[in-house]
Amino acid sequence: MRPERTIAGAAGDAAWRVAPLVMLVALWQAASAAGLLNPAFAPSPRAIALALLDLLTGGEIGRNLLITLFRSFTGLALGAVAGIWLGLMMARSRVFNAYVAPIVGGTYSLPKSALIPLFALWFGIGSTTAICAVFLACLLPMVVNTAHGVTTTPRVLTWSAHALGTRERKMLTRIYLRHALPDIFTGLRIALGFSFVLAISSEMIASTSGIGKLVFMYGENGTYDYMFAAIVCIVIVAFLADRALLAIRRQALRWHESAAEGS
Amino acid sequence: MPPKIEIRGVSKTYVTGRGGVQALRGTNLKLDAGEFVSIVGPSGCGKSTLLYIVGGFLEADGDVLVEGRRVSGPGTERGVVFQEYALFPWLTVRGNIVYGLDEKAMAGAERDAIVARLIALIGLEGFEDRFPRELSGGMKQRVAIARTLACDPSILLLDEPLGALDAQTREIMQDELLRIWVDTRKTVLMVTHDVNEAVYLSNRICVMSARPGQIVEEFTVNLDRNKTREEIFLSDAFNKVRNEVWLSVRRQALAAAKADAP
Repeated sequence: MRPERTIAGAAGDAAWRVAPLVMLVALWQAASAAGLLNPAFAPSPRAIALALLDLLTGGEIGRNLLITLFRSFTGLALGAVAGIWLGLMMARSRVFNAYVAPIVGGTYSLPKSALIPLFALWFGIGSTTAICAVFLACLLPMVVNTAHGVTTTPRVLTWSAHALGTRERKMLTRIYLRHALPDIFTGLRIALGFSFVLAISSEMIASTSGIGKLVFMYGENGTYDYMFAAIVCIVIVAFLADRALLAIRRQALRWHESAAEGS
Repeated sequence: MPPKIEIRGVSKTYVTGRGGVQALRGTNLKLDAGEFVSIVGPSGCGKSTLLYIVGGFLEADGDVLVEGRRVSGPGTERGVVFQEYALFPWLTVRGNIVYGLDEKAMAGAERDAIVARLIALIGLEGFEDRFPRELSGGMKQRVAIARTLACDPSILLLDEPLGALDAQTREIMQDELLRIWVDTRKTVLMVTHDVNEAVYLSNRICVMSARPGQIVEEFTVNLDRNKTREEIFLSDAFNKVRNEVWLSVRRQALAAAKADAP
C-alpha cells in the first residue's frame, strides 16, 4: 500500500532535497570563518547574504532583473513560435526538410554566444542584440524537438483521423501538434535554460543594463559579494521559471504516460 | 445493384532498399451489403495490407469499388478499427467518441445523444472523462469501436481488432461485435489470425496464400446466430467449418515455410 502523502511528509521531502545545498553553504561559511578563503576573491556566504539584502532593498536589482526577463522571454517566445513552425514544416515537407536540415544540423552545435559580437555590430548595444541571441539559441531545440514529435506520429493515428473525416489542412492542429506536444515541452525546457544563459552573456558583452551587465560590473569593480548576490538572484528566478514551466507541462500533458509518474 | 465492396485485381508491391516485396497479387473479392467476411491466412500474407487498401490508406494497382464508385482515399462511410494504440491519447473517452461527429460539425443535442447511447452500448458509463492510458486493453478497444460507430459508417473494416486482448476479454468482445453486426447489419470486412473467431463471427471466410497474397479458398458459414456461444462452439456445423478452414490455413502456412526454407 502506498503511504499517505501528508503536508508534513512533503515538507520533509523538500528539506531532504535542499540538505546537500545547505551543507555546501555551511561548509563554505565555515571555511571563510576559519580564514581558509581569501574574502577578496571568495566572499563568505554571510557577506553575500548581506549584499543580497542591500540589493533587494534598492530598486536597481529589480529594474535590471525585469530588463533581463523581458529579453529572455521575448527571445524565447519568438524562438518557440518560429521553431515550432519550422519543425512542423520540416516534418511535413520533404522539399523543405532537404533545404533546412543541413542548416539546422550545421548550426546545432555552434555556441550561439559566439555570434553576440556580430549581432552587436549589426544591432548595436542593447535589447535587440540580446533578443536576437536568445531567439537563435531557443530556435534550434524547438525545431529539432517539434520535428521529432511530428515525424513519430503513428500512422494508425493519422489514418484514424482521416477515416473519421479530418481534412488534410486540419491534420496539423488536430493530430500532429497534439502528438508533438510532449516533445515541444521538452524543447521549451531546454530553450528556457538557453534563454537565460544567452540573455545574460549578451548583456555582459553588449549592454548597458540587465543582470548580466550588473554581474559584469560588480566583477570588474572587485565587489565580489555583490556579484555573487546578483548571481543568486538570477539563479532563483531561473529555478522558479523552470518550476512554473514544469507545472504548466503537468497540466497540459495529463493525458500523457509521463503524468502517471508523479512529479 | 453493384456489390457493396468490390476488390478487382488488386496488387501491391512495397518498395524497399533492395527492389520490392510483392505483398498482394491480383486479389479479387466481392462483398454484398450486410455480409461479415473474414480474411485469414499465414502471418505476413498481406491481409492487413488488403484492408488498408480498402480503407484508402495505401495506394495499389487494380480497383477497389464501394457501391460501384472507385475508392481514392479514406472516407467516413468506411469505419476502421485497428488492433491497438489507435485511440487519440490526448482525448478522453468522450473526446475520442465525439471526434468524428465534431468533424461533421454535428449539433450539440444530437451529438450528445449519440455519445450517451454509444457509451451505454460499450458499458463504459462513469469512464467518460478518463484518458486512454487509464483504460485496460479491452476498454480501449470498446472505445475504438464506439468511436468508429459514432460516424455510422455502412462498412466496418476491422484489422485484428481483438488481437491484443486476453482470451476472456476477447470472447466477451466477440459477442459484442456479433451483437453489433446482428443489430446494425453493417457490411464487415475483418482480418484475423484466429480461425475460431472467424468462423464464430463471419458468414464467409477467405483464406489467403502466403506472400504474394491471393485469396485461394472461400468458405461459407451458416450458423444460427440466435444460439448461445456454447451451443455454437459445441455444434457439429461449427466444428466442421472450423476444421476445414484450419486445414486450409495450415496448408498455406506450411507452403510458406517450405518456400522460405533454404
